[in-house]
Amino acid sequence: MPANPEKAITVSDLRRVYHSSQGIFKKTRNVVEAVKGISFDVDYGELFGLVGPNGAGKTTTIKMLTTLLTPTSGTARVLGFDIVKDVIAIRRGIGIIFGGERGLYYRVSGRENLRYFADLYGVPLSKREKRIDELLEMVGLAERAEERVEGYSRGMKQRLHIAKGLINDPKLIFMDEPTIGLDPEAARETRAMIKGQVENGKTILLTTHYMYEADELCHRIGVISGGRIVALDSPSALKRFVKDVTVIEVEAFGVADADLMALRQQPDVTAVNANLEGERQTIRVQTARGSEFIATVTKLLSKAKIMDVRIKEPTLEDAYLKLVA
Amino acid sequence: MKAEMQTLWGSFRMSMLNFFSDPQWIIPNIIAPFVFTAVALIFFRNASGSLALYAVLGGGMMGMWGSTLYGAGFALSFDRWNGTLEYVLATPSRLVWIVAGRSASSAVLGLVNALAVLVVAVLGFKAQLGIVDPVTFLLALVLTLASLSALGVLFCSSFLLTRSASVLTNGLEMPIYVASGSMFPIALLPFWSHPLSLSLGPTWGIDAMRHAADATYTGMSFGFWPDILVLVASTIVYLAIGFWLFILVEKKARRDASLVEY
Repeated sequence: MPANPEKAITVSDLRRVYHSSQGIFKKTRNVVEAVKGISFDVDYGELFGLVGPNGAGKTTTIKMLTTLLTPTSGTARVLGFDIVKDVIAIRRGIGIIFGGERGLYYRVSGRENLRYFADLYGVPLSKREKRIDELLEMVGLAERAEERVEGYSRGMKQRLHIAKGLINDPKLIFMDEPTIGLDPEAARETRAMIKGQVENGKTILLTTHYMYEADELCHRIGVISGGRIVALDSPSALKRFVKDVTVIEVEAFGVADADLMALRQQPDVTAVNANLEGERQTIRVQTARGSEFIATVTKLLSKAKIMDVRIKEPTLEDAYLKLVA
Repeated sequence: MKAEMQTLWGSFRMSMLNFFSDPQWIIPNIIAPFVFTAVALIFFRNASGSLALYAVLGGGMMGMWGSTLYGAGFALSFDRWNGTLEYVLATPSRLVWIVAGRSASSAVLGLVNALAVLVVAVLGFKAQLGIVDPVTFLLALVLTLASLSALGVLFCSSFLLTRSASVLTNGLEMPIYVASGSMFPIALLPFWSHPLSLSLGPTWGIDAMRHAADATYTGMSFGFWPDILVLVASTIVYLAIGFWLFILVEKKARRDASLVEY
């Protein structure tokens, strides 16, 4: 009997250390503490987001919760079962959907991929084909089900990943960056499917790098940085972290790294983020000094060609940048 | 047990589908044993029926062993390359049943190779292969296939601990082919190699097949049924060790995060 059936996930002081060594005769041992004692829980029916920069510990956390890795210390229960002792019981009740091109048998058809995973999950043979047909219909692959996966587009492969992750009708689904590398339309379709699963009563733990995605989808978000959860709240509550912050957005050409560094070193600047779209750079500067700081920004970027400067409403991304800075 | 059988059959089926979708597997599994048998038959084309039988059985065994060994080596490397290993590991099925299904498919594909060798020997080289007792021959053949599958499971558990399965696969092909007495009786091998030979199930399988096929064969002097007894016992031992190793390997992989690296 599960110990804590009220929560889908309960994590308490979970920690994971990786050990590795290099060299043959003179070995150098490396120790990396990827997750440094995190705690959180997820309710049934909730869509919980875990966001953070690369190497923050998101994937390690997911691997521990899906029983692929044992924690170094701490405890966690998934669907009420212990992640170390009740491995098979957890695996029966969860689904896994990772993003990216890989993770499918390319030389066989989409239907055969689903059939194989249905067998590995022990879906009864009497229900297997019906379940596969339903899932193929749901993800819009019914017409292409007999084709080899190698001929599928990136978006179709991701839809097949979703069908595969749902083959055992899991109560809880782990999604690790499910929209990574997708074009905007395919990403929108994937987000719609994720929403649909929550409406159908599933619980989802989602990791993503896209803050607008987390904002759109998640009921609560845990921000993880350097192996620790630095904030955990609803998207609207997290945005309040930057309610006293003014965001100045600059569109420019030719901003050098040194200019960005100079901006970051200004007093009252909490974060500076630069995105490159073709030749055009979009710089977002968070400051506590309000719109008067525009003059300083334009002065520091005077060597670049500035196209536009505007004050923006702080977003979840701004809150995230402040939290992980 | 029903779930385990579903895993076994599903893995067998998926392995077959992947095999036939990629023609390059034909080279080690079909062409190599065929060439080897053809060379042996050319050497012994004027020899008596027993030698021709040895050549065909040897070529067939080589095909079956090569197929099993490659199957074991690639059973999970294939998933590492495809990026499917984490998904497979995250299912409630035990890894040992998944590998057993894939290993069984390799052994059956090896049987196809053996049959191809037989057809070529009879039709192409007019080899005289009178099998005295086809029923017991078939029994020995099926049990040898089971033994090869069990050996595949055992090897795969060891291969999982290393990222160099392909090196081990290549290195083990010839020694075990020779040690099991596939092409010539182990009596011709040096004495120090006999413990290795006798610990291999296929050694007893090939001896049983020769007993069933050739009434004049004396072999290891134990006769057909003692051969079968040792063959079955060694298969059970391989499976028991394989299961135990897989449990250890799975635990180690979860602890060290090593299984999905490549």
